[in-house]
Amino acid sequence: MNYEKKILLVDDDIDILEQNKILFEAEGYTVETAETSNDGYEKFLTFKPACAVIDLMMEEYDSGFVLAHKLKRHPLGKKMPVYIVTAVANQTGLQFESMTPEEQEWINADDILNKPVEIEEILSRISDFYENQSG
Amino acid sequence: MEDSDHPARILLVDDEDYLRNGVKRILQIEGFEVETAENGAEGIKKGTEFDFDVALLDLKMPDISGIEVLRMIRQARPNTICFMATAYASYETAVEATKLGAEGYILKPFTPDELIHNIEKGLQKRRLILEAERLKADREARLLELAFERSRLNTIINLLADGVLVINQFGEMVYYNPAALRYLDLDVILLAEEILEILPPEVKEIAQRMISKEKFEVMGESVQFKLSSNPDMFVEVTCSPIPDHDRKKIAGIVIVAKNITQFKEIEQLKSQFVSMVSHELKAPVAATIGFLDILLNPKMKLTDHQRSDFLNRSTARLRSLLTMVNDLLDISRIELNTVKREIVKIDLASLVQETVEMMQFEAAKKNITIKFSAGEIPFTIEADRLEIERVITNLMSNAVKYNKTDGEVLVSLKKKGAYIILEIKDTGIGLKPEEKNRLFSEFFRAKNEFTKSIHGTGLGLSIVKKTIDYYSGKIESESEYGKGTTFRVFLPEKILNK
Repeated sequence: MNYEKKILLVDDDIDILEQNKILFEAEGYTVETAETSNDGYEKFLTFKPACAVIDLMMEEYDSGFVLAHKLKRHPLGKKMPVYIVTAVANQTGLQFESMTPEEQEWINADDILNKPVEIEEILSRISDFYENQSG
Repeated sequence: MEDSDHPARILLVDDEDYLRNGVKRILQIEGFEVETAENGAEGIKKGTEFDFDVALLDLKMPDISGIEVLRMIRQARPNTICFMATAYASYETAVEATKLGAEGYILKPFTPDELIHNIEKGLQKRRLILEAERLKADREARLLELAFERSRLNTIINLLADGVLVINQFGEMVYYNPAALRYLDLDVILLAEEILEILPPEVKEIAQRMISKEKFEVMGESVQFKLSSNPDMFVEVTCSPIPDHDRKKIAGIVIVAKNITQFKEIEQLKSQFVSMVSHELKAPVAATIGFLDILLNPKMKLTDHQRSDFLNRSTARLRSLLTMVNDLLDISRIELNTVKREIVKIDLASLVQETVEMMQFEAAKKNITIKFSAGEIPFTIEADRLEIERVITNLMSNAVKYNKTDGEVLVSLKKKGAYIILEIKDTGIGLKPEEKNRLFSEFFRAKNEFTKSIHGTGLGLSIVKKTIDYYSGKIESESEYGKGTTFRVFLPEKILNK
């Protein structure tokens, strides 16, 4: 399945945001960035990305979960992958697989990835996602 | 009564003067203390009033017979040893006198030796009786003490915060205190009730295993679990076997249940703090590595401006990391109370003035005016200069950093009682009500559209609060979101008990 190479990055660390923007742009992506959950949701509505990568801890420790929940329940967000990235997963033992089905269902993110995340990792997940969709 | 430093006291009852006086003299020569009575009535009066060691009673007296005197004395003073003295003892009177507790007969006329021999014998008996009495009293006192001790032990165990439950080798309840019911999830239990089945499964398993062991071993076992009736409560239960008298077999088990809910909460807070610290430390490192990776990646086409920008930003992140580590070390020094302080008199007015001047450069960037007003009176406190300087710098730099362009910072000093009040008022972005409670906790930083470009460690106010606490002062804040924040610091003029 074909998809437009548009990605939304949401992170409250402006340095990380800019780095990822440059890296995705080098891969031919059009990148939109947001530093807060609210801004992220607004940009999602206007930008209509093919993927969203969201930092977990922003205004609140679980801001990323709440945003993922909102995106995945929007008609536009249903058919795109949403990845949550976090630096605390290692320390806290937070693993998407070990969450209860109810929690996973609520968050509905496609995966939780440990920071720092390799761009290639996200790129291959996106292409896998859309391949499965068409198949 | 006879005691070690007092001669034996003897009562002599006889109606014949010469005999009374003769005997009295003999006994006095022997070192006894002698009291005499010349008739039965007087004998009874004296013999019942005082506890003589020995009484010598004439059997035949004109008023009251010696037997009657004997009866009365024995009734009132059962420990007085009584001898009957008579010239002619009939069998009947002898029997009656013995029944009434007379020690023996001394036949008249008697020689001094006979008399003294009998008296000595009587005194010996008296000593034995008194000793027996004393032992009996002792024993009773000790029993009383034991009973008291036992009830005191009961009271103590009942008042223990920890639950105590004792079961025998058959799994029957022998003893428990009220806390045991609470922490072992039990309703009422009865003495000798078989209790294993109603214990929480975690405890039952250990107790059963312990009882079924053939041999006694000194080995307790503990388990921690949440109560099924109250999942908010965490308990730790320790089972320890009680040995029987020869320490070979198990006589029972003592089960001690402790409420460790608070301990678990602290443990959780600790790991939350650790993960928060890790996160805060990791963020600048990750950002720096990210920039370096991009800078080192030959495929990236970067402009010169981008290159220097990324390097500058990396440096800034590493600098903030260093500040954060230093702040963390400061916090731990304050908490561990290992801060080296040099307590001196500080002129707060001039210290604040210096800080205001230092802040001007930063303030000018956003065209912020800092105004400082203090009365003419001296504002001196006793404290470590560097620490107080840090408090003032921290609060003022917040007032500038979180201020709006063209804003104002109003600083003033006042005196109230034994305290100096430093007030720092800004026209900045203010705090939301829900943010106010978290203001002084570690790593709290107000995050909103105004603050996203402001760098900080989130440790400054925590250090400020801890420092002020050390000096027995206090810090207050008032804030309105969008309008500004006021901090008020109260510091005592004289340092207290440090």
